[in-house]
Amino acid sequence: MGGASYTAPRSGTAFSRPGISAKLAAVPWTLVLLIAGVALAGTGMLFSITYDKPAEAGLPIAHLIRFGIAFVVMMVLAMVPLSVWSRLALPAYLVSLILLFAVELAGSVRGGAQRWLEIGPLAIQPSEFMKLALVLVLARYYHLAQAREGGGFMVHIPAAVLMLLPAALIFLQPDFGTTLTLLAAGGIIIFLAGLDWRFIATGIAVGVLSAPLIYNYALEDYQRGRVDIFLEQIVGHSSDALGDGYQIEQAKIAIGSGGLRGKGYLNGTQSQLDYIPEQHTDFVLTVIAEELGFFGVTGLLLAWGVILGWGLYIAMKCSSAFGRYAASGAVGMVAFYIVFNVGMVVGLLPVVGVPMPLVSYGGTAMLTVMSAFGLVLSVHIHRRETISRTGLL
Amino acid sequence: MARKTSKNFFKSARPAKQMLDPEFQFTRRALVAGGTAGALWLGLIGRFYQLQILNGDEYRRFAEENRIRLDLAPPQRGQILDRFGRPLASHRSAGRISIIREQAGDVESVLQSISKLIDLPEERQQRILRDAMRQASFLPTLVARELTYEDFARMKLHAAQLPGVEVEMGLTRSYPRGRDFAHVLGYVAKASQRDLTRLTDGMTASEATQASRLYRHPDMRTGRSGIEYVCDSWLTGRPGQKRVVTNAAGRIIEQLDSADLAPQAGQDVVITIDAELQRAVIERFGEESGAAVVMDVETGAILALVSTPAFDPNDFVNGISQADYDVLRGNDRSPLYHKAFDGMYPPGSTFKMVVATAALEAGVIDPRERVYCSGRYRFGNRTWACWKHGGHGSMDMRNAIKNSCDTYFYEVSQRMGIDKLAETARKFGFGNTWNIGLTGGAHGVVPDDAWKRETRGEPWYEGETLNVGIGQGYLSVTPLQLALMCARIARGGGVITPNLIHSGPQIDPGEDTQQPLEPEFIQRMQDGMFAVTGEWGGTARRSGDLGLGGVFMAGKTGTAQVRHITQAERNRGVISNDNLARHLRDHALFVGYAPHDAPKYAVAVVVEHGGGGSAVAAPVARDILAEAIRRDSRREPTVHQTASTGGTGQGAL
Repeated sequence: MGGASYTAPRSGTAFSRPGISAKLAAVPWTLVLLIAGVALAGTGMLFSITYDKPAEAGLPIAHLIRFGIAFVVMMVLAMVPLSVWSRLALPAYLVSLILLFAVELAGSVRGGAQRWLEIGPLAIQPSEFMKLALVLVLARYYHLAQAREGGGFMVHIPAAVLMLLPAALIFLQPDFGTTLTLLAAGGIIIFLAGLDWRFIATGIAVGVLSAPLIYNYALEDYQRGRVDIFLEQIVGHSSDALGDGYQIEQAKIAIGSGGLRGKGYLNGTQSQLDYIPEQHTDFVLTVIAEELGFFGVTGLLLAWGVILGWGLYIAMKCSSAFGRYAASGAVGMVAFYIVFNVGMVVGLLPVVGVPMPLVSYGGTAMLTVMSAFGLVLSVHIHRRETISRTGLL
Repeated sequence: MARKTSKNFFKSARPAKQMLDPEFQFTRRALVAGGTAGALWLGLIGRFYQLQILNGDEYRRFAEENRIRLDLAPPQRGQILDRFGRPLASHRSAGRISIIREQAGDVESVLQSISKLIDLPEERQQRILRDAMRQASFLPTLVARELTYEDFARMKLHAAQLPGVEVEMGLTRSYPRGRDFAHVLGYVAKASQRDLTRLTDGMTASEATQASRLYRHPDMRTGRSGIEYVCDSWLTGRPGQKRVVTNAAGRIIEQLDSADLAPQAGQDVVITIDAELQRAVIERFGEESGAAVVMDVETGAILALVSTPAFDPNDFVNGISQADYDVLRGNDRSPLYHKAFDGMYPPGSTFKMVVATAALEAGVIDPRERVYCSGRYRFGNRTWACWKHGGHGSMDMRNAIKNSCDTYFYEVSQRMGIDKLAETARKFGFGNTWNIGLTGGAHGVVPDDAWKRETRGEPWYEGETLNVGIGQGYLSVTPLQLALMCARIARGGGVITPNLIHSGPQIDPGEDTQQPLEPEFIQRMQDGMFAVTGEWGGTARRSGDLGLGGVFMAGKTGTAQVRHITQAERNRGVISNDNLARHLRDHALFVGYAPHDAPKYAVAVVVEHGGGGSAVAAPVARDILAEAIRRDSRREPTVHQTASTGGTGQGAL
């Protein structure tokens, strides 16, 4: 990590602030290239699904255009000093929280859930803003909390409140996928901030032990049936291939039939014949698996592994606590997206609407993920910046 | 989320008590988190290894042999029924052949084989081939529709030997009463790109994809105008899915039924029109072009809404050819135009009740006061003529309506001025349109000073008031507005909301400018209108008796000038209509209600370029009112839900 780095000036010494060119020189371009590569691969797969369907022919181009816009956003965010991120953390969080309340009161319902707030021609999804805002506010919280108290169990309680409040609001919309994303991103920061192992162990133990009890006593018969079907298809084939298991069974057929090398680009019969619902959004991985095979899927997962590992390394190398937590929270969030999307597509996790970052078609997730990378890049560029430990949250 | 190894658990339980360097602690925990994620990554890759390498052969067999696919099942469109449950828009099944490029392989030779079984000209084959190449290879392309029974049977027999060819029964929208309801029902057509943009507005990307896939189905249609358009979502219903087992090429081997995915048929719409009365009205018009509106004076229900000539909406369902469309467009009697709802006409003398009511409301004349008609009326330095060249002599209000004396109305409108006249016209509902469930709808023009300044940038000239006073000039109205005016006079002045949909989606009627009118004044209008048809010398005396044994109508004739009459012509006197080209002849109008002493029905008739209201329009109106009374068209609607549209009336939209 030799490259140029930016050290925060003492207040009032504006002349020492390095220019944009110095910051651009500090950008880890290999990482940026990897990110762009994944998005281009996604465009290619979207082309494969849509190229002979006139009604959807515009999707790959739209995907590329969105990536272009999101890329610019990422690069702009990368230039923002950590002190600015830190100052904006609380206002961003509060505004997002207010917008979430507004959605609850006045949001419009699309696809059965209340997620959108329409302001004139703009339709915004406040839950997307909240993802990044939560990472920032928790990073800032621990940055300050460590200065004051330095540990103990109680220090994590305000953090948990900051996380659970928006999570509850989003859960009510209802948007289960986003709720989980928030809990995962927030949970990772709390874990990294040193939540006591005994607490974690107790939590896991309670979860593992109560599962059979819940299964036997708390669930209705039909709910038990769903769990059975789900567990059954993990090991074998779903006996309910026409009902709830349809989508997942079709996804498994598409993936499995791809084999080691796949059927070849544009040649996936399952993908081309529209067997899989949502195949250009949440289930896009089935197309990669079918057409490019085990090699293709492993390649994508390895690329993501390198990107996220690099991100975690950036977090560890940052001198300020704020930067460490912010970068690791952002990385954790993207990692969660991937684990849940892949887990869902291969039938190891229940179907919750979580897209594959940068590959699935969809504008909001693209912007959120690229903004998260913008934050990670900023942490790298400004890793030597000192952040004040004074002030309110 | 992350499962920790027991090793980590024991190691780190102890040091948590003592203070750690936060940076060191972070690095340690980050490594744990990274390690956990790495383990998850390996697990996921392992799952792919299991599915793709270990079980790959099995899944490949699944993919190749036997596949289950979800196909869209379009919902059956709801029917449109008249007030007595007669179907006006329903559906019929028709045989249809389609071809799926991907399964057919050599589309050209398959089409060749089909042409040996049914009539399929070479150029048609070329067009199908072009259509097939233009869309996705797995989507069906239409080869032929509306098959005769013999063709259908023959194709069905040979379908097995024709790869990629599907022979099936499809549902086509049909309008059993053809032209009678062209403008009321509108028509459906295959969704165009513009329709799709409108229909998918506000949907998420995947919903929109689903919807456009649905609308590509050969059975799917969308409303383009009239009730079919306005009530589209009510009529459409909800699509379902059918699960089909297909072979390697995608051909359907078996269809699996499941009730929870069945499409939900659209709901029926019942309209207030009596289809038989509508038919009788159209027949009465014969070759004439024009419009008629029959209204129930108590409920405002529209019992007949006729615009003739009309087009046949059945021609539009499968797309009308450009040549046929040009013929419709070129017809000088404008069959595409909804004259009863969109047509704007000068009301002529049918407007005189409005002028008289306005004069009474303004208090500018006593109904007993007499105005002398010499056949000419001077105002300023110009002269206006009464239609009766020799003059009517001295006229009170009742006689002025009975004889349709223009001079009387020049005088009263000049006394009250345009703004008062316009105000009363708006109270009657002129200048307004109602959202009765149809597309279009003209407002007409109720001119006044403000209107003229706004549209022409000029002030109002008093002389122009005189033209409006006899229903000419800038004034224009729709037949629906005239029928409403007449119904309100028949009812004694109360407000009536015209309505066309008896049961169907809630429709916001829109803004209404109507206001109650003074019953005492309206009584005088009734009196005058009965004098027109019931007294010797009335302008429609010959049409007063409906021929039902003592049932009379009350009404008012009107003759609306179409052409501008120059001052020179005015001085020369009236030219007979017979000597003019058709398009220059006057429109004949009539408004009336019956029975005159206990009104049930109101009617407005416009016969385009028909000549005089008395000679042409009044007999038509009389026959329409007689028919309505004979048929008892306004009796309570009796609608039986038909079995063909199960799932109606569930209230879900």
